[in-house]
Amino acid sequence: MRELTSSPALPRVARNLAAPSRERALRRTALAATLVVLCVLPFFVNDYVQFVINTMIVYCLVAVGFNVVIGYLGQLAFVSAGFFGVGAYATGLSMAHLGLPFPLAAVIGTLAGGLVGGLVGLPALRVRGHYLAIISLAVGEILRWVYVHAEAVTFGAGGFTLPDVRLGGQLLGDKGKYYVFLAAAVAAIAATSLLLRSRFGRAFVAVRNNEPAAASLGIRVKRVKVIAFAWSGLVIGLAGALYAALNGRVSPDSFGLAQVLLHFAIVMIGGLGSLLGSVLGAVLLTGAPELLRNFPGLEEIVFSLMLIGVLFFMPKGLGGLVARTVPLARERLFRSNGDA
Amino acid sequence: MLVQLLVSGIAVGSVYALVALGMTILYRSTTVVNFCHGEFFMLGAFGVVVAQQLLGWSYGVSIVFALVLLLAVGVLTERVLIRPLRNAPFVTLAMMTVALSYLLKGVSRFFYGREVVPLPPLLAGEPIELGGAVLFAQDALIVGFTAVVVAGFFVFFQRTQLGKVIQAASQAPRGASLVGINVPLLRNAMWGVGAVMGAAAGILIAPNTLVYPDMGGHMLIRAFAAMCLGGFGSFPGAVLGGVTLGVLENLVGGFVSSALVEITAYLVIVAVLVLRPQGILGEGRSVRA
Amino acid sequence: MLDVSDLSVRFGGLTAVSGLSFSVRAGEVFTMMGPNGAGKTTAFNAIGGFVRATAGRVRFDGRDLIGLPPEKIASLGIRRTFQNNGILREMTVLENVLTGLELDTPSTFWGSALGLPASGRAEREAVAKARRMLAEMEIADLEDRSAGDLSFGQQRLVEIARALVAGARLIMLDEPAVGLSPSERAHLATTLRELARTGIAILLVEHVQDLVMAVSDQVLVLNYGKRIAQCVPAELKNNAEVLEAYLGHA
Repeated sequence: MRELTSSPALPRVARNLAAPSRERALRRTALAATLVVLCVLPFFVNDYVQFVINTMIVYCLVAVGFNVVIGYLGQLAFVSAGFFGVGAYATGLSMAHLGLPFPLAAVIGTLAGGLVGGLVGLPALRVRGHYLAIISLAVGEILRWVYVHAEAVTFGAGGFTLPDVRLGGQLLGDKGKYYVFLAAAVAAIAATSLLLRSRFGRAFVAVRNNEPAAASLGIRVKRVKVIAFAWSGLVIGLAGALYAALNGRVSPDSFGLAQVLLHFAIVMIGGLGSLLGSVLGAVLLTGAPELLRNFPGLEEIVFSLMLIGVLFFMPKGLGGLVARTVPLARERLFRSNGDA
Repeated sequence: MLVQLLVSGIAVGSVYALVALGMTILYRSTTVVNFCHGEFFMLGAFGVVVAQQLLGWSYGVSIVFALVLLLAVGVLTERVLIRPLRNAPFVTLAMMTVALSYLLKGVSRFFYGREVVPLPPLLAGEPIELGGAVLFAQDALIVGFTAVVVAGFFVFFQRTQLGKVIQAASQAPRGASLVGINVPLLRNAMWGVGAVMGAAAGILIAPNTLVYPDMGGHMLIRAFAAMCLGGFGSFPGAVLGGVTLGVLENLVGGFVSSALVEITAYLVIVAVLVLRPQGILGEGRSVRA
Repeated sequence: MLDVSDLSVRFGGLTAVSGLSFSVRAGEVFTMMGPNGAGKTTAFNAIGGFVRATAGRVRFDGRDLIGLPPEKIASLGIRRTFQNNGILREMTVLENVLTGLELDTPSTFWGSALGLPASGRAEREAVAKARRMLAEMEIADLEDRSAGDLSFGQQRLVEIARALVAGARLIMLDEPAVGLSPSERAHLATTLRELARTGIAILLVEHVQDLVMAVSDQVLVLNYGKRIAQCVPAELKNNAEVLEAYLGHA
């Protein structure tokens, strides 16, 4: 039994366990330092930059949620704009029609996203490949049509303004919103990370790779697919809720094909199957210079060229690039001894 | 009224059929689902606008210009963007076409911004009376052109040697190349043809719908609906699906509510893919995993 | 342990498998052989629940398998490998073996997402089990390697480790010798015999002669979906029907 391994097994096993703990300590320190910086950030930036940062947080969440379906589960479904819109509308309408306070409305928005996610997961069981892409496009457009035409409920094509966004009675300005967004995003991203490093994350990838093989291991393929879509819906729904609060307005044209491109570009450029990549991609593309927005079409041109570039030269995106150069940042699909 | 709806439906449906046919050519020859086809459609119309208004050429010359332009675009796209990725998974190729679609949309938005450009009809003149319904000359042209294209297709693929060769090459590329058929060249040519068909559709309908950068996305979903309804990957299916969709939209608009016209195509997609994914004429086809 | 009686599988007008019967005992290595198109893979897939059997019965420890979906069959202690693409190339070896523990890891969905201690513990135990399995198969130092970078022989071992890690009692291997060098095949043969010695039943579909001879307790030869011979490996070359199946009319 000696031919396939180059040296005795036992000492190697012991060494494998030791090296990662140094890695883990480093990773923990890096994360802690980042969190500290993030907490004190508002004191050093002006209101406009604060707004941009808040927007980045929203898109980080979108990217992370979308990545679960197209990166980990590997299904091409143009669902992100749909979940995003459902989250925003559910949140805004709960506040506008039912007078609910923002935190509760945001929970409703998140749950609505999850519900729609699960529902969209069902046709995804029957339909795959380009058919799934097409049907998801259609569903997204149906949703938008509903926003425009169900005027009595959704206020129609012009959209509507949210009532004041308050937390515990206090009106939230951009800096206040930042802390709320940050807390929500950190929680959601941490939960997603934990999920992906569990048997569920591995199940997603196994299903993506070879469904019969996954089934032969006892993985319930249909359940796994619906779970992935539902989770994606939850996270992107939460992003939508925050988006509504960010702008104080919700309108149908924010959730069309232009959003789809943005979400796609962020996830692809960030790297399919990389949470860190999704965060990096969101920060990069949201922080794109205002210059891009002043000329019609320029944003589309730049993003699509970047996307094409990534597809040709850097299929693993930014996340892959970082993982290659900084081993610390490699994302695993399991939790080992000592991990939280 | 029913006759009028049918007649208008067939006219609009013919455009859908043309676009769907073009997309089906691309799908059959390279198994790529071209999410960028709407932009070929849009560029056809814009090509005429640019040639007419910027370069001052006559309508006829502008049309030729636009068609040649799109032939080049189709051929280039296949050579530069699709061929290098031919062994990549479906997701990558699909995303490539999505990215290209946004690139083309962005470029036209860059030059035409928020403008919506009108285009005069190719065939003006008195509308034709047809058994209680009115058919505009332009619409008659659309239907006629589509009928000619469809007939041409049939004759070409079923009756000519070259047509059969092309079919063989799509179905069994390796065998075809062993026999000496230049498969890459064929694929390249097919993309050119498909793009030109998309452009032709755009040019034909632009006088009715006006020309604007987002007209592609709107058409893309309708073409998908036509392909799914008729049977994805089937030529007769694309035509049947397109015309049926056009008629359906008009019937819905006439008898139910005009607000629902917009959403008819989307509902058709959902209904067909959930209930009978192979469409009306359903066929076996290769699907990239 | 595994009893197949009168198994038939028909696709439309085509009969892929007809009236197949055999048994595999614990600790036995049972090989199905036959020319291409003989129906071995179809029978294999029917037993595993990937293809619907048209007639016959398949019983595992007395439990009926026909009609059960693959996940359910897996939960009964049966695992299989695949000819291509069974292993996840982008995952590491450890991650691959961990996917074999899906049924054995009691972590719940919300427990995992919220990081609850019970789920964390379940995960860590799974990692420990996976590492023990790798050590047993003597490939522990490959733990962190990307599975796609390994040689075919190493990949097969990882796939077998993944199949065994949850304590499977019957493993079904689909042409495991494909793409292996002679020394890797010898290693595989030794591994399989040692596994059989621990009481695991092994059902094998294989072409490659030397592996079949080295490893099998019983060989069943199929052609045109029917059994044409069943014997111990040594008797194969004397069997006229077997020769005819492979070589055509003598």
